[in-house]
Amino acid sequence: MTKLTINGIEVQSESNWTILKAAEHAGVTIPTLCYHKDLSPTGACRMCLVNVKGAKGLTTACTTPVSEGMEVETENEVLASSRRSVLKLLLSVYYDQGYKPDDTDNDLYKWARFYGLDPHKYMASKPRYEVDSDPNPFIFVDLNKCILCTRCVRACSEIQGRFVWGVSERGFEAHVSPGMEEDMIDARCESCGACVAYCPTGALSLKPTISVQPAEKKVTTTCAYCGVGCQFDLNVIDDTVVKVTSNPLAPANGMHLCVKGRFGFSYIHHEDRLTKPLVREYLLNGTQRPSKSDRGKWVETDWDTALDLVAKKLADTRDTYGPDSIGVLSSAKCTNEENYLMNKFARQVIGTNNVDHCARLCHASTVAGLATTLGSGAMTNSMQDVYEAANSIFVIGSNTTEQHPVFGAKMRQAVLNRGVKLVVADPRKIELCEFATLHLQQKPGTDIALVNGLMYIILEKGYEDKQFIEERTENFDALVENVKQYPPEKVSKITGIPVDQLYEAVEIIVHNAPMAVFWAMGITQHTVGVHNVFSLADLQLMLGNFGKPGAGVNPLRGQNNVQGACDMGCLVNVYPGYQAVTAEASQQKFEAAWGTTLSNKVGKTVTEIIPGVLEGTTKALYILGENPMMTDPDTNHIRHCLEELDFLALQEIFPTETSKYADVLLPGVTFAEKTGTFTSTERRVQMVRQAITPRGESRPDWAVTADLAKRVIAQGGRQIDAAPYAGWDYADSGEVMAEIAALTPSYGGISHERLNAGETLCWPCPTSTHPGTPILHIGKFTRGKATFLPAIHLDPSELPDEEYPVMMTTGRVIYHWHSGEQTRRVKELMEIYGEPLIEVSYEDAAQLGLNEEVNHVKVTSRRGTITARAWVTDRVPEGLIYGTFHFPEANVNTLTKAALDPIAKIPEYKVTAVRIEAVN
Amino acid sequence: MPPVTINEEETILGVRRIVKRIGATRADLIPVLQAVTNEFGFISQPAMEELSALMNLPTKEIHSVATFYRMLSTQPRGRHVIQFCESAPCHVVGGREVFATLKQALALEPGQTSPDNKWTLLTTSCLGVCGMGPVILIDTDMYGNVTPEQVKEILSRYE
Repeated sequence: MTKLTINGIEVQSESNWTILKAAEHAGVTIPTLCYHKDLSPTGACRMCLVNVKGAKGLTTACTTPVSEGMEVETENEVLASSRRSVLKLLLSVYYDQGYKPDDTDNDLYKWARFYGLDPHKYMASKPRYEVDSDPNPFIFVDLNKCILCTRCVRACSEIQGRFVWGVSERGFEAHVSPGMEEDMIDARCESCGACVAYCPTGALSLKPTISVQPAEKKVTTTCAYCGVGCQFDLNVIDDTVVKVTSNPLAPANGMHLCVKGRFGFSYIHHEDRLTKPLVREYLLNGTQRPSKSDRGKWVETDWDTALDLVAKKLADTRDTYGPDSIGVLSSAKCTNEENYLMNKFARQVIGTNNVDHCARLCHASTVAGLATTLGSGAMTNSMQDVYEAANSIFVIGSNTTEQHPVFGAKMRQAVLNRGVKLVVADPRKIELCEFATLHLQQKPGTDIALVNGLMYIILEKGYEDKQFIEERTENFDALVENVKQYPPEKVSKITGIPVDQLYEAVEIIVHNAPMAVFWAMGITQHTVGVHNVFSLADLQLMLGNFGKPGAGVNPLRGQNNVQGACDMGCLVNVYPGYQAVTAEASQQKFEAAWGTTLSNKVGKTVTEIIPGVLEGTTKALYILGENPMMTDPDTNHIRHCLEELDFLALQEIFPTETSKYADVLLPGVTFAEKTGTFTSTERRVQMVRQAITPRGESRPDWAVTADLAKRVIAQGGRQIDAAPYAGWDYADSGEVMAEIAALTPSYGGISHERLNAGETLCWPCPTSTHPGTPILHIGKFTRGKATFLPAIHLDPSELPDEEYPVMMTTGRVIYHWHSGEQTRRVKELMEIYGEPLIEVSYEDAAQLGLNEEVNHVKVTSRRGTITARAWVTDRVPEGLIYGTFHFPEANVNTLTKAALDPIAKIPEYKVTAVRIEAVN
Repeated sequence: MPPVTINEEETILGVRRIVKRIGATRADLIPVLQAVTNEFGFISQPAMEELSALMNLPTKEIHSVATFYRMLSTQPRGRHVIQFCESAPCHVVGGREVFATLKQALALEPGQTSPDNKWTLLTTSCLGVCGMGPVILIDTDMYGNVTPEQVKEILSRYE
């Protein structure tokens, strides 16, 4: 500690702090413009000059470290005069055309006014630059308002790791500009908006909301796109969300957001929103459905009619065909409270374990794989501790910078700021490869061979952590036996990775411990998905990378609340908190809680429920916020199943591809219109707060499900006794959370009250005083000793052959979200990425004869055909193409195969054999 | 790799040669840019992109450096680059008149290149030889104590 005095008051400071930081901690504000606590200081603007006794001239507080006995003065007439001069000079080259009504974030004006200067009096009389000079649809550039503080330059390089902005020229001509004086997008801008968030003068603004007034209120909430769990403030005027702004206190992301989080909210107010319950006419008339493929006209109706109709249909189906003839699909986009109620609805009200959700399509393999090896199926470490403590990161099958952009940016920061060694294993040259020490470009579907091959080398070199293996694991011998089958030459042949790169990868990850491994769909969406996960757990067990900061196995969960939907028991085999439906104790516990008998038979998964229609085992579906027509493999087959289905009740915010096959459409709400919690990929439970009233007659989804449950129960046919949690009368979602906490040990200490009081809790959090558990498996695994489970390489279910010679892999892009229902309704996102693109290598493009005129490809698999524009790129190697499921007009799931992992029942989205033709 | 035009290909090969000769660390950037300017007359976008790949530096950083220094250029320049010192010591010993003559003789304003690509006229800050002002630098040839009358003769020395 260092002692100094600031304005005559003695202050304690850490020895490595600057004067500015010491002053901040002492509650003394020193004016700044170019300084921001998240960015490296440059001392450029001269606003923070202070008087240090004995120093020559004035001193920049933001760059000068404290020293013992230092006497600092932060305000006096000399300093005020100096600051007024600085402000006048800055204003003399500042020009504000007055188009932006909200200048509450303009620090230049704030300090000018503080020092008694009218900014408009001192500013330049005419502009030097074009206003709105960049075509980026998200970012409004007005260099007339730039004071060259370079916060945008530092935000882009230090926060987003993208280096779009920099200073060009010198002297009076100096100005910030993107890339080589290009448009921002051409300079590889990802439109995250960090430059805007950090700009203190309005030179960079949010373009879509440039003309909105200052917010009437700001509501801090959690983003509803990916699983990173970013928080931000919804700015509300007149019951409308007008803008998203950063909230510096956000635990996972701070000021940072991605393009979807910051700009992708206008779907909330899109005209397509469902605002009234819709029922097919034939149901109201009591007549037959027009045909299997045509359910007839939609009729707007009231909630009572719609819910009574659904209740009767579900009760009748249950009573006629049995409870297992009904499938309940919950939503990883909805809150924990809503998912808990969907699980309770299926199990208590219907009496089936056929409750599942899209985790089946993304991380079912992870949940199954890690639960078996370690005892817990979630990310073991927090993103921040990996960022701070990992010395190497192994990313396999995760396109992190596009799919979890804010965490992807943290990975870039770890490489840039701490020199962390990054090894990326991916069949595509994803963006993260630029930051990688090594890119292992394996063939799709060869991950087990790759990871086993790495373990072979680790054993060969004797790099394994013998003590850890001895003390904390079991079944090592079986693993060794299996790994022996994967010598480097053989692995190289299977994976296509050169032998020396395998050795190099091992040297990097072993000598830069701790290493954290990250994966996503590239690992899980295979017929060997669970074994893929085994192999990664084995690797980390072998290296002892568990139970400490910067290590662990870290599956990045895709949806905002897919972790929570799993935690809440929207899985076919577990109650909330992963209490097995087959375990008598859990069955009894929930029977006592819910006042009814429960099934101990594992239910049918998403990938079984829908195909079950054709087998006659599935008769009715209640779907909350899922879109199987876009997201499930083999669309034509799914369509056929849904046509044959007797009854589909769909709760949604928009009409979707799936709603064409629905009989009743119940209007739910977006995350802005309800209160609850999401659980992020790092098991962090965070509040979602209602900012606006539900649109039209739409209702919060938890309220709809609760209302429906009461009506199904009222139909009779299933006995439900009085019990502590048998009822469905919830005043608010906080009461649902109280019920969750009572029945779910890992959520036992979580409540809306604690979260609203500012606590940030990662489960397990068993009691109301427990601080949460950011790192799992410290000292002991959840299951006691972790078990090594050998993984055996098997070929994907479909490999290229003469007829279908090309391999296709699928996924998402940064600008869109899953089936695209939200992001396709955001005008600006569509301006940047408005049509489906198929990534084709230069080699294949040349062979196909693709050129400026002939620029589309027709892609055919054994199941269907799509046609889309080709994006010729070196992201994919020869013989591999890549497409997305964001656009119904060319959805890759028309082509994918419903080949399932035998354990997790996850489809093999990542490998499909196709043939491609050029078309114009 | 995307297809490139012949001209770009030449640039890229040249840039690779230069980086191989000088080095690919961040500290090598200024000499590398100087060499690229000398060889190609300016640092083109394809050159900056190639340097970015070879030296593992963002194109923005290369552009910032390339536009900061007068000895470097991101715009095509004439076969001969004239830099006229506009600092005070040259100014007060008759620099203004020399510069007026120079502009007139070349029919160029500062920053411009002649239509025949022979000349580019630039102004520069102090060249460090204030004792012999006014000073003109043509390519690497330094001229001191220049008078307006000498301008024509000096220019005639260049092809």
